[in-house]
Amino acid sequence: MATVTERPLLAAPFLPALQALARPHGWDLLRGRAEAALAAQTWPTTRQEAWKYTDLAPLKDLAFAPGLPAPVDIGPLILPEARGSRLVFVNGHFDPHHSNTSNLPPGVRLLNLAAASELAHDLGTLAGAGGDDPFISLNTARFRDGALLIVPKGTQVEAPIHILFVQAQEGEAPTCALPRLFVVLERNAAATLVEEYQGRGRTLACAVSEVLVRENARLNHARIQRESTEAYHFSTLAVRLEKDAQYDCRTIAFGARLSRSTPKVDLVDGGANLVLDSLALLGDGQVADTHSFIDHKVPNGTSRQVHKAIADGDALAVFNGIIFVRRDAQGTDAQQQCRGLLLSSRAKVDAKPQLEIYADDVKCAHGAAIGQLDPEALFYLQSRGMRPALARNLLTYAFASDLLAGIPLPSLRRQLRSTVLARTNAENLDTLP
Amino acid sequence: MLSIRNLSARVGDNEVLKGIDLEVQAGEVHAIMGPNGSGKSTLGKVLAGHPAYEVTGGEVLFEGRNLFEMAPDERARAGIFLGFQHPIEVPGVSNASFLRLAYNKKAESEGRDELDPLEFDDFIQEKIHMVKMENSFLDRSLNEGFSGGEKKRNEILQMCVLEPKLAILDELDSGLDIDALRVLGEVVTGLLSPQRALLVITHFPRILEAIHPGRVHVLYDGRIVRSGGMELALELEERGYDWLKPVAAPAETAAAGRA
Repeated sequence: MATVTERPLLAAPFLPALQALARPHGWDLLRGRAEAALAAQTWPTTRQEAWKYTDLAPLKDLAFAPGLPAPVDIGPLILPEARGSRLVFVNGHFDPHHSNTSNLPPGVRLLNLAAASELAHDLGTLAGAGGDDPFISLNTARFRDGALLIVPKGTQVEAPIHILFVQAQEGEAPTCALPRLFVVLERNAAATLVEEYQGRGRTLACAVSEVLVRENARLNHARIQRESTEAYHFSTLAVRLEKDAQYDCRTIAFGARLSRSTPKVDLVDGGANLVLDSLALLGDGQVADTHSFIDHKVPNGTSRQVHKAIADGDALAVFNGIIFVRRDAQGTDAQQQCRGLLLSSRAKVDAKPQLEIYADDVKCAHGAAIGQLDPEALFYLQSRGMRPALARNLLTYAFASDLLAGIPLPSLRRQLRSTVLARTNAENLDTLP
Repeated sequence: MLSIRNLSARVGDNEVLKGIDLEVQAGEVHAIMGPNGSGKSTLGKVLAGHPAYEVTGGEVLFEGRNLFEMAPDERARAGIFLGFQHPIEVPGVSNASFLRLAYNKKAESEGRDELDPLEFDDFIQEKIHMVKMENSFLDRSLNEGFSGGEKKRNEILQMCVLEPKLAILDELDSGLDIDALRVLGEVVTGLLSPQRALLVITHFPRILEAIHPGRVHVLYDGRIVRSGGMELALELEERGYDWLKPVAAPAETAAAGRA
């Protein structure tokens, strides 16, 4: 059922408000292309395969106002490990007061993108201008502030880097922001990065992140989306892995009424190693859509992808994951798994794992398993004296726990665990693995 | 302690228990033996409250309470423990957390103090030593990737933690080598007291040499066809089960049932 008519995207009520955002200079060519793409785009409808399950109708008539700089208490959001390696953006605006980059090795650049366009000539080369994705076009044409991280050749950054995008609705009007992130790890560099979206109230975020991991560099990237359950969140991740690069990415999403995550990873040189995991924990009224694309372009790349979704109430989780193995990509080793856990009879998980293989000497596997809690496991726990509710919570938590265990910062891991525990109403589980 | 009276039960359309009578007093050890498919495991699961089994007749009293009015977790907190023939693997829940949670839920229901992780660590050390498990099993996910024997040790470890009044051990010996069986047999008998009872369900008499039941019952096609002492088990070892096969199926096969 298509409820959105094909009308120009630019006619959407929230766009004029966005236009009012002052835009820093730089990337004129890129911005121009994105602006032109925007003008040519129509609203995605559920008649299009890529948007089949994600109905944007609830969004189209909302008149979002551009977010304004605002005082936000970020105290509880501070990760102690990243005390001196943090950038904060509030309602789309760089917040120098709450940012602190004092604990970074020399040569590491962590700053507001808008003030450093000369350092980021390559911006847009990974995500493009969004010819077929209006949310990339929108961000690229009109983003204001953003985060730039450059780790120079051979530099190992000990402290994890925390880039925090906070949105808070003030007053009646829903607010919007266009977070942007550009990350480059030069040869033999290593870093841990937390990219986090937090928010309160009815907000819209159209985020675009670009990550370039050069030869033999290592990046451990945690992406956390815990906006309010009234939020709309669209995020694109475009990654390029060069020779022997190691990239571990874990996306954890709890928030948003409607969210769409589109990670796209290109393995462009041999020996690159990718881990792309994600977890969506959804309650009543939430829709989360993950469309991933892993592109093995060259021989001997490795990719591991696990997507898990927990859906309660009438939540809907969509997973559409393509692994593309090109003719030249001999020796590719790619594994993809999608697992869905349904906690209510009204919840839904739509999974479509896809392998497209054009090379003949590869090791690839994919699978999807969607189900409810195992009644035998529930009985086992009950037979040890646990009440049914506790047994259910424990098993729900257990379903998520391996992905949470991969979060590199102990403090963040603890926070996410307690969020999952709170969401599953689990009690007394503070010391679970 | 446990009174089973004319119990019948089915799973799906299959009538598995067809009128069982059994009295177990505190301080006693009973063995339930029988060939495959005779209903032994079903009896254990029915007593523990597995939802897939439907009680179609009879009653069971545990310390005077109607067992079928109690949910599986209530039965466990009241002191019934089922050692599973095939313990379930639960990835993502550490064995230590699971054991502590189980301990604390029981302690809570009995008004005793719960143990924090450090206290529990002290508490569990002695027990894990008793069942001769490596400490590393505490940090692993519950039963995940455990061998058959390791799972059985873990069941007995849980029994040590929960100290049940009535333990029902279903095919404890499967997956265990002789030495492990002897160790676990000693642990299980060490837990016995005049206040506790044990129901051992087994296919092979071998385990009974380690556990020494006072009473042995043979289950055949959903009924107890013979009861005796340890000599009955030895006879079964010699002669198998076939000689106990009822000569002709009784005409009135239907056990008195409410369903």
